[in-house]
Amino acid sequence: MKTAKKDTKAPAKAPKAAAKPKVAFFDFASCEGCQLQMTNLGELLLDILGAVDVVEFREAISEKWDKDYDVVFIEGSIGDHHAEERLKKIRARAKVLIAYGACACTGGVNGMKNGFELDEIRQSVYGKDYKLFDSTPTRAIDQVVKVDYYINGCPVYPPEIIEVVKHALRGLPYTVPDNPVCSECKLNENVCMYERGVACLGPWTKAGCNSWCVNNGNICYGCRGEVKNPAKNAAKDVISKYNLKPELITKKFEMYNKCKEGAK
Amino acid sequence: MNYHILQKDNLNCFIKSLAKQMKVYAPVAKGYNNFAFEEVTEAEQISMDYIPTILPPKKYFMPPREKMLDFDLNGGKPQDKAVLEAEKLAVFAVHTCDLAGIQCLNMVFSERPRDYNYLLRKENIVIIGLECNKYCDGNASCALVGNHYPNGGYDLFFTDIGDKWIIHVNTQKGEELVEGMGLGKASVADMTALGKVREAKKEAFGNEIGVEPKKLTEVFAKGMDSKVWHDVGSRCVSCGNCTNVCPTCYCFDMTDSINLDMKTGSRNRTWDSCQFETFATVAGGENFREERAHRQRHRYYRKFKYPLDKFNRAFCTGCGRCTRTCMAKINLKDTLKALAAESK
Repeated sequence: MKTAKKDTKAPAKAPKAAAKPKVAFFDFASCEGCQLQMTNLGELLLDILGAVDVVEFREAISEKWDKDYDVVFIEGSIGDHHAEERLKKIRARAKVLIAYGACACTGGVNGMKNGFELDEIRQSVYGKDYKLFDSTPTRAIDQVVKVDYYINGCPVYPPEIIEVVKHALRGLPYTVPDNPVCSECKLNENVCMYERGVACLGPWTKAGCNSWCVNNGNICYGCRGEVKNPAKNAAKDVISKYNLKPELITKKFEMYNKCKEGAK
Repeated sequence: MNYHILQKDNLNCFIKSLAKQMKVYAPVAKGYNNFAFEEVTEAEQISMDYIPTILPPKKYFMPPREKMLDFDLNGGKPQDKAVLEAEKLAVFAVHTCDLAGIQCLNMVFSERPRDYNYLLRKENIVIIGLECNKYCDGNASCALVGNHYPNGGYDLFFTDIGDKWIIHVNTQKGEELVEGMGLGKASVADMTALGKVREAKKEAFGNEIGVEPKKLTEVFAKGMDSKVWHDVGSRCVSCGNCTNVCPTCYCFDMTDSINLDMKTGSRNRTWDSCQFETFATVAGGENFREERAHRQRHRYYRKFKYPLDKFNRAFCTGCGRCTRTCMAKINLKDTLKALAAESK
């Protein structure tokens, strides 16, 4: 009986060093700034590297990997057929896929493309030979393949990267907070941007960034995507209380939220 | 009665002397008519004339984010160690509404099971009150709940009587402080001046909604199905501002966080809000307060009904913060008035 007991405990104690998860980073339509955030983690990066094996990361290492991946980080959104095919191939080789950054999670600024007629915007970007350049409306990663974890933000917020990595390593679901940014902003005791006479997207944007921008004197641009159930009527009251123009708020929303209504 | 005197010119000596003994937190101007309790070392940093701060002083008793315990999964049996830390500090110039807020929290956290993190902090905090001789602004409703006058809950209490402050000494801790600083006793003339200030306040302050507090109890007893809640709910952003800034809201969420070594970690609590959609969601996905109207109603009942039933005390302190902070213009006084009008 005693030995049996010991055996059940053994897996929890066993060091997993021998089987460190193979992790890779890939980018699509993006500025690659979120991958840069990973290298900006400083000492925390060393802790992550102690827990995983990075096998592909164009921005940091030159190695390639031809086997399956345990975890892939996907930065960027999908804007042409080639990207779509490439993403599907990566997904087929990956046990866990993390949508990494605003472009991957919500379409990000690339979503602004969807506010135009496709051919019109192609022409404006590529000139008269635009038909030579394939282009599709911007899609977030989960509009193409299954996503297991989301790390929102433009750029991603370092403490949240760590949180999601830990959840992924333990195989636990990570829940992106579905409260407005105000909920964290207030705890940081910032003077409300509306009190300063500036329109801020905090009231409609998912928290989880610890009101990073407002803490540093900027407004919330809505980079984390809309909360699942945004206050539709509230905008009217907010606009009238602070004497603002409604377009100010809707235009600001289009910067990050044109691709889809709210990230998951 | 134990009253002392501090000449206004000597406030800086008082703050400096206090700051030598412990950290001192006081209202500081943040611009745009916003104030916050922050650490100060001299009097000129302090705004003695301020409207209620963004967050109430509850943040010193129950920090927005707090570590409860460290755990270690190394070895066969998980080990854990409670984190009980409290720094000695003074909160200076606390308005009577916020003193009332602290009294409410004291009651809540002294209930069993006792909250040792809160109680330990409370033991280590010196509270110095400051009387409001006039309204801070039109959002306050302190007279409605009787918090425009001091009702205890402090070590020392300052009232402005012209060129000096008269200080009520309410505890031994307070006594030791003023004795240590050698502050003189109040004279008969000072006591008369204090009486005049209090008398003038009878004129300056009055029931802000024209509904007697006792009547309000009935109003809430009948108001569960009021359409007022749907109006309020249709405007609510669910941002949680109203509860985060409330001196008596104390709901929190607990999470365990593991370190990257996957063996050690901590349990932490953060302020939560009944206004969040996820607040009353339980396993299986059922949400007991899915509608914003129900969540807002719950907030009001947690101020004007449930605590009266339980503690015989309203948990609205009349500070007006929830109204000031609401981006969607949900106004406490208007809501109470509308509710009372409906039940007539």
